Amino acid sequence: MEPYAGIVLQDAYGWVRRHPRVADGLLAALLLAASADQLRISPLSTALAATAVSALIAATVVLRRRDPLAAFAVVALLGAAQLAFGVQPGDGLRVRALGPTVSDLAIAVLLYTLAVYRPRRISLAALALCLLGAAVAVARWAPVHTAHSGGLLLLAGAGLGATVLTAWVLGDSMAYRRAYYGGLEDRLAVAERARELQEQRARAVDESAARLRRIERDLHDGAQVRLAALAMALGEIKENLEQAPGDDRLLALTVAAHRNAKDTLAELRDLARGIHPPVLDRGLGPALALLAGTSAIPARLSAAITERPSPAIEAMAYFCVAELLANAAKHSGARQLTIGVREQDAGLVVTVADDGDGGGRLVPGGGLAGLLERVQTVDGRLRLDSPPGGPTLVTVELPRHA
Amino acid sequence: MRPDGLRIVIAEDAAIMRDGLTQTLSRRGHDVVAAVADGESLRQAVGEHRPDVAIIDVRMPPTHTDEGLRAARDIHERWPGVGVLVFSQYIETQAAAELFSRAPAGVGYLLKDRVADVSDFIDAITRVAQGGTVLDPEVVRQLLSAGRRGDSLAALTPREREVLSLIAQGRSNAAIAGTLFISPKVVEKHVASIFGKLGLAPSDSDNRRVIAAIRYLES
Repeated sequence: MEPYAGIVLQDAYGWVRRHPRVADGLLAALLLAASADQLRISPLSTALAATAVSALIAATVVLRRRDPLAAFAVVALLGAAQLAFGVQPGDGLRVRALGPTVSDLAIAVLLYTLAVYRPRRISLAALALCLLGAAVAVARWAPVHTAHSGGLLLLAGAGLGATVLTAWVLGDSMAYRRAYYGGLEDRLAVAERARELQEQRARAVDESAARLRRIERDLHDGAQVRLAALAMALGEIKENLEQAPGDDRLLALTVAAHRNAKDTLAELRDLARGIHPPVLDRGLGPALALLAGTSAIPARLSAAITERPSPAIEAMAYFCVAELLANAAKHSGARQLTIGVREQDAGLVVTVADDGDGGGRLVPGGGLAGLLERVQTVDGRLRLDSPPGGPTLVTVELPRHA
Repeated sequence: MRPDGLRIVIAEDAAIMRDGLTQTLSRRGHDVVAAVADGESLRQAVGEHRPDVAIIDVRMPPTHTDEGLRAARDIHERWPGVGVLVFSQYIETQAAAELFSRAPAGVGYLLKDRVADVSDFIDAITRVAQGGTVLDPEVVRQLLSAGRRGDSLAALTPREREVLSLIAQGRSNAAIAGTLFISPKVVEKHVASIFGKLGLAPSDSDNRRVIAAIRYLES
């Protein structure tokens, strides 16, 4: 029975949340209906006036979300009018239309609404007003001629006060919950956005690496081939001219052109290698072996990779090592370099160590700083241990893919 | 063996280069019996024509990584009489060493750039067709300067280093003598000295000493 009731309650709650105005309207109608016994007042004009007052009070409930403060103000005014001119024992002005009605419970509803949607100081002021009103109401409406008037007064006062206080407490705690969940939702939205951005960045990094590979391939298949064919043709012409005695100037021109073509071929090859070294397609191991083999300072390589990282990461690791080797050749005064690559947790650790003079620093705008920036685009890390006197160790941590 | 008029198979996926090579070789009196663009066609052409030498680009379809290299190794195993000259756009000392590690006779590894010096290039083809060994001077330079064997290489005189470089390129004593303008006798003395200083066994065959030199430099 219990779980079923729970489901029904959940459904009802959900419906109320989706149709707040209708729910408020129903509440207002309920309050008005509960004041229906006012219609039994005679004469009819007074009954209708009283009902109108009740209707007005109840109507503020419908408008409570739109402007809680205004709605509360209206009810407070009407309530004050009731207190001032409504039913009271003994003498004094008596406007029967302004008698207390069940609709007056609307004030509790409105106090609750105020506590939920408005700052504490406003809702506390309203609470104070309500408590004051409750005290005055008890004083004016309590029957003076009963023997136990004191006890009854207290009970009535406590009852009214408790109702008002409860309304405020409920409203205040609801306000707190709304702020809390609102904060959670904001954090969730931020986390979502961060995840989105990370995915976009990874895509951008991979696409950029792929584009560079395509450029290198186009160079290789296009410009480099044509240039080689051109150089070959010029070479033939040169040799023919060399063998047949003739125009020396023509020969000199051809020799120069041939030389030019060959130099351009070599430059283009270096350029293409700077864009994307073809050896990288074979994997990081062979690529680093090539770097170690062509290093100006003797370099040892120890690579232990079981699973190839993404092409973008392989390229990044390769260029890091290339830059570090060049750096060491220029500044370290070392006699032996050691390159290491190993897998660690979910990523790759690349190390370059030299037995040189040390004293390396991360200078802004320098080569190492540039490496650090590149590495950071994939959330990698770079650490430099280079005490003066050496040795130097640079450690680069990279994820498996961007 | 005809020194001129070699029968040649070309494997190169860029049409311009394929045509250019064919024409250049034909103009020098050689016979290009087949010009193909991928590894499979290459194996078929060699099987069919049994050329004197196959000129092979390392990078070919489908993966454009090392099809040519693998085809060269296969061909050299199946048809030892066919020389293979492998062309590469970039230097890969590992690949070169692998190529030479088994049977070095009739094997060559050159940078594509070398086509620009036509006579040298034709000479290399001829040497490979005749069972010699050819290794690109740039590869040798890198092997020499890589500093792996810095200390023992430092024991060589500059002239001896030059001779070692030419040995690693696959040159015969006569060719070295011609290149350096010294007499063959002097070359022999240098060779003996080099092999002695590096602790290598003296070897008669030019091919075997290329291997010895490369292995030494690579290790």
